[in-house]
This record gives sequence, C-alpha cells and structure tokens, in this order.
Amino acid sequence: METQEDLEAGREVAEASLPTSLRGVQPKFETKGLKAGFGTNWVLKGIDLKIPPNRVTAVMGPSGCGKTTFVRCLNRLHELTPGATVEGEALLDGEDIYDRNADPVAVRRRIGMVFQKPNPFPTMSIYHNVVAGLTLNGERNKKKLDHAVEHSLRGAYLWDEVKDKLSNSGASLSGGQQQRLCIARALAVEPEVLLMDEPCSALDPTATAKIEELITQLKRDYTIIIVTHNLQQASRVSDYTAFFYLGKLIEFDETATLFENPKEELTERYITGKFG
Amino acid sequence: MTSIFTSGRRQSWRRIFDRIMKVLILLSVVIAIIPLFFVVADVVVQGLPAISLAFFTKNPPSPLAGYGGILNGIEGSLLMVGMGTLIAVPLGVGAGIYFSEWPESRLSFLSSFTNDVLAEFPTIVVGLFVYSLVVAPTRTFSAVAGAVALAIIMLPIIARTTEESLKIVPVTLREASMALGVPRWKTIFRVVISTGKSGLATGILLGIARATGETAPLVVTAGYLNFPPTGLFQQTASVPYIIYNFGTAGYPNWTTVAWGAALVLVAFMLILNLSVKFFIGRRSTGVRAEI
Amino acid sequence: MPRLMDIGLDQLNSLLLDMATLSQQAVSASIDAYSLGSKGSEVRQMSNRLRALHRQVSDLSVEMIARYQPVASDLRFLKACMEISYGFFRYGRYALDITSVLDMFGDLSKCDKKFVVDTAKKTQEMIRMSVEAFAKRDLEMARNIPTMDDVVDESYRRNLRTTLEKKGADIKCALSSALILRYLERIADHASYIGESVEYIATGVEPKLD
Repeated sequence: METQEDLEAGREVAEASLPTSLRGVQPKFETKGLKAGFGTNWVLKGIDLKIPPNRVTAVMGPSGCGKTTFVRCLNRLHELTPGATVEGEALLDGEDIYDRNADPVAVRRRIGMVFQKPNPFPTMSIYHNVVAGLTLNGERNKKKLDHAVEHSLRGAYLWDEVKDKLSNSGASLSGGQQQRLCIARALAVEPEVLLMDEPCSALDPTATAKIEELITQLKRDYTIIIVTHNLQQASRVSDYTAFFYLGKLIEFDETATLFENPKEELTERYITGKFG
Repeated sequence: MTSIFTSGRRQSWRRIFDRIMKVLILLSVVIAIIPLFFVVADVVVQGLPAISLAFFTKNPPSPLAGYGGILNGIEGSLLMVGMGTLIAVPLGVGAGIYFSEWPESRLSFLSSFTNDVLAEFPTIVVGLFVYSLVVAPTRTFSAVAGAVALAIIMLPIIARTTEESLKIVPVTLREASMALGVPRWKTIFRVVISTGKSGLATGILLGIARATGETAPLVVTAGYLNFPPTGLFQQTASVPYIIYNFGTAGYPNWTTVAWGAALVLVAFMLILNLSVKFFIGRRSTGVRAEI
Repeated sequence: MPRLMDIGLDQLNSLLLDMATLSQQAVSASIDAYSLGSKGSEVRQMSNRLRALHRQVSDLSVEMIARYQPVASDLRFLKACMEISYGFFRYGRYALDITSVLDMFGDLSKCDKKFVVDTAKKTQEMIRMSVEAFAKRDLEMARNIPTMDDVVDESYRRNLRTTLEKKGADIKCALSSALILRYLERIADHASYIGESVEYIATGVEPKLD
C-alpha cells in the first residue's frame, strides 16, 4: 500500500536523479504520481517522469512492467478499456490532461499514436487513410487535404513509393509501408507528441531500419516516446531511456550513460540479461 | 529398425477400411441430399407450368375458373416485408451496435437473450402476440400488423449479425481512430460500421429472407385479400399465404397457382442467398487482410 | 542460468590470466638475466607468445561486441580486456627489450647493479599487484598501484640526473642502467593503466587525465 511518504520520497529521488542535460529544461510531458490499472489492481504504481521536448525517449522493461500502460495513459487511451482506472497527473506543457475539465478528444488531437501492429483503415484508400484524422473531423477542403497527404507522406518517407497509387487500398502495402502509412496518418493531424508502442516488432529488419531512421529525423519537429523491449533498438534510436520494472520507474537517464554505466543494480541486471 | 513401409497385410486391411468409410460417408451425404433435391425438383416441375408473364400481373382466379397470377401476394409481401424491414433494420442495427460497442453495460445480458431466445422464437406465438397488440384493438387484419410481426421476427437476426460483424472488427482499428482525436460516435459510424458493413448487409438480407417465407404469423395478422393491398389497415395477401390457402383447397387450377407461388418463393430465396454469398465473398478488404 | 555471452567472457578471462602469468615470468627472466648474467633466451619466445595472445584477445573481444551487442558491465569489461591484454603484451615486449640490451652490451659484470635491481623489484611488485587486481577485481589494490608508480618514476629520474652529473663514468654501465631503468619505468606505467582499467570495469569511471 503506497503511503503519501513513499510518493514524496519517490518524487525527490526523481528530481535528484535527473540527468544533468535536463536540469532546468521545461519538460514536454511530466507525470506526477501517475497510477493506472484496472479497479484496484494497479499496473502502474506511481510514476514521476519528465519527458524532454524534441527528443526520443525510450521506455523499456520486461513484460508486464507497465510500459505500454504508461504510454496509453499519455493519450488517454487506457481509460477506454472497460474497468480501467487512472490516478495522478500528466502535464502536457504544464496542463494536466486528466483535469476534470479536460476534453479527452482534444487531448488526443495533440498526441499521435502508432501501434505495434500496423492498422491502416481497411476500407479506405491510402489517400483517405492519411487524412482520416482530418476528414473524420469535418475537413473538406480538397486543397488542404491534398497538401496534408503529400506533406505527411513525405514526412514519413513514404511519398515516393506511393504517390502514384494513392487511391489503392491502405491494406495493399507491405508491412513496413503500412506502418509508415500509420505514421503519416498520425502526423497529418499535426500533433506535438508522437507515441510509438513497439512500432517495429511486427516488421522485418529492413523495414525496421527505415523506421528507425525516420524516428531520428522526426524528433526535430516532434517529441517522441517509444516503447520497446528491444534493447538494441532503444540504444540505437533514443536520446533518453526510462527503465520500468513492476510498475515503477527504476531509472531514467541519457541512453548512452544508462547503457554504459547504469546507476541502479536492477537496471544493470536487466540490460545485461542477468534477470530471472 | 522398422521400415517406413508397413508390412503387406496390415497395409491392405487399412486401405480397405479407409475405402469402406469413404463409401459410407458418401452414401450418407447422398441420402441426406436426395429429399432436398426431390423437393426442389418437385417445386420446379409442378410450378413451372404456372409461370408466365400473366402470373406476375394478374390476381388469382376463382375456383375451377382457369388461370391467373399472384400479383396480390407479390405486392402484399413486398409491402409487408418492406415495412417490416424499415422497422427492424434501424432497431436491430442499433441494438447490435449497442451490444458490440458497450459490452460492459448492464443491459448486455439482453444480447444473449436476443440471440438465444428471441431468434428461435416460434413465429406463430409472435403472430398471436401481434394479434392481441394490433389486430384486436383495430378490429381488423392489416398490413401493418403483418409488418410488425415480420419486424419482430427479423429483429433478433439483424441484431445478432450486426453485433457479430462489429465484434470482428479489431479493437486496434477503434483505437487508431480514437488516437487520432476522433470522437467515439464518429469512430463507430465512420470506421467500425464501415469496416463491418458487409456483415451488416448479410444480416439484413438473411432477415429479409426469413421474413419473406414466414406463413403462420401472417395468417393471424395480415389475413388475405384477393386483390393487391388496398390500405395499410386492411387485410393483405402474401405469397406464403397463397401457397397455404390455394395449395390445400383441392381445386386443380388453384393447386397450380400454389405450386407457381412456391416456385417464385424458392427462386426469390435462392437469389437472396446468392446475394449473401456475394457480400461475404467480396474482398471486404479489412477483415480478411487481418486474418 | 549462464548467458550465451558468458562462454566467451570466461574464455577471455582465462586468456588474460594466462597472459598475466606469462608476462610476469618474462619480466622475471629478463631481470634475472641482468642481475645473474644468465642467458635469458626464453624471453624472446615468451614475448612472441604474448603478442599472439594479445591478438587473440583483441579478436575475441571484437567478435563478442559484434555478436552480442553487450551493454553496461559486459561492455566495460570487453573494452578493458583489450587495454589490459595490451598491457601484458607490453610487459613481455619490454622484458625482451631488456634482454636485447644485455645482448648488445655483452659483459656487464663490472657494473653496479644494485640500484637497478632494487627498482626492478619494485616494478615486479607493481606487476604482481596489477595481475592480482585484475584476477580478483580488487579495487583497493588497483587504486594503490599509482603511488608505487610515482616511486619508480622518481628512481628513473634520479638515476638519470646522477648519471649526467657523474664524471668519468663507464659508458657501458651508465647507458645499460639508463636503458633498463627506462624500460622498467614504462612497465610501471602500464601497470598503472591496468589498474585504471580494473577500476573502470567496476565503476565505469575513468580517472582524469593529468
């Protein structure tokens, strides 16, 4: 049973252990005591984390550590599951997305999400898939939509491959292309944050490499949070890494530091494979 | 060390046994199909002579007085099945959507009630229910009563297939839509239903097929009329009723009309079922691509 | 449960321990050759063997990095392995250099060898410390090596100064002493580096450069 003192102590640890490069930097996303679960079965047991802007932050940990739940709380997707519960705060640019008056739909428009298995809308063409977020919300201006399609597909490194077959079904592309299509679809809504839940786990190495390249380019314009169980991917792609275990944040640091010389014994044991 | 070739004797006994089983199974299939085949053949053979253009444009003849048609039945059935569909589809699809998209609600038990009980309900009881509800107060058999009875019969079928078709749509598609900042109701109507629409269409067609063939409820709600429908609150003919009425009367020309009507009904069912297959077989891209 | 990587790590560890023993022996043999006048012919063979072992360690470390993409303490160990094996290789090399001085200069029986032998003893002690620090991952011992290094450095410089100031000194003795002291000083430096590498494996911290 987490007491108030435990939470306070946890918060102090988080502050003190902030990597030097992030001290004094205004975080894009900040969670305070974020708890999430189903009923009283808490999967996340109080997370205090500051996500830096315009960087790639990897969230990793063994299965069941709560990393996916954490990320799904950031765009208020977790609460859509029946029985889901959330407590605590998640501040996007200082505003709590879980505030009583906050509109979850408006929150989700500022945050894009890419899922583990590519999920383009099967009944829509590539064109309509990309701008689904716009058309489903009432945008009809053809010029705007055309521009958004090209801009987003270019941003996802997919334009050249599909520009001549925009009316083909979204599902007619290869796995890697479908995932880039989903990224384009997320980008079209012009979010500020991009959440990626193990985006490459269903893809072959070539497709994975392309998407990793894409991610490192995207951070210029977006804050990216990527959940991954692949240590090498986290070390290739991310600037900062957060290590979760059993619903708690164990360590958060610059990726290079965490992978060369982690501060916590638990982190060391996990990344060197000495777990279990 | 045993060889991959079994010894000669065991091998041939096994082969013989295999062949016997195959023959037995084939035989059972044939035996099962034969009655069906004969029924259809009978309908075709007996009904074909009655078919002509006049069959579809004239009303039934008087007893012993030559040939006629089933115009009244066709128009009546169209009217009542049509009205029934107009009632059942919005309600059935709505219920199916509710059961699928809000499974955690307290009314979800109604879903299993609908599927298990209502869908197989004896239709004569439905007819009786509508009799007391509509026919008795209005003191007349009517097309409206018939339509209501048919709607009640169609509703569970449509609700069930709608619910099942929507449930097949992967959760991840809903999540993708919600994650884009699309409100829930739009997600349901523009994404979920759009992906499951062939299932929905199938359900509606199956419901129509079922309703078209129902006889018992119409006997106690719509009654019969020798002419095309004259009013919503008047007795109305239907094709099944014609088969029922004219087939057992004993007059040879009436018998012919009944067989003709039977053929029309069977042909209509066949067309409907082929349409259903068309909808299922068509690459409703999403659901198949996922699998 | 042992990891796939552990097989290779154990192999590296035993290779390094072999190199440690061998390099110690090589240095001892060369010092004995100097002080007792023995031939020291086995030193060349030892030095070559050390060179081969160093290459083996280097190859194996790189192969492990490429195959297993190790992180944290494993990665630090592999980096340190390559540095430490280089250190042991250099021990052997300098032992060889000492014996080649003896070959070149011939008979040195008339020289005053006491000072050099004393310094050699200190150096051998440092070698022993470096080997033990590595074998037992002994941080304490690793941290003590630099202090002894200062002592050896001081000896080397003092001898140079004295030699420069002395008039009429025997060239052969003076030069041979200076050269051998130089090699001992370099061996001592490498012992320090090995100590630093051992510390790096444990703490991930590299000492500041002076």
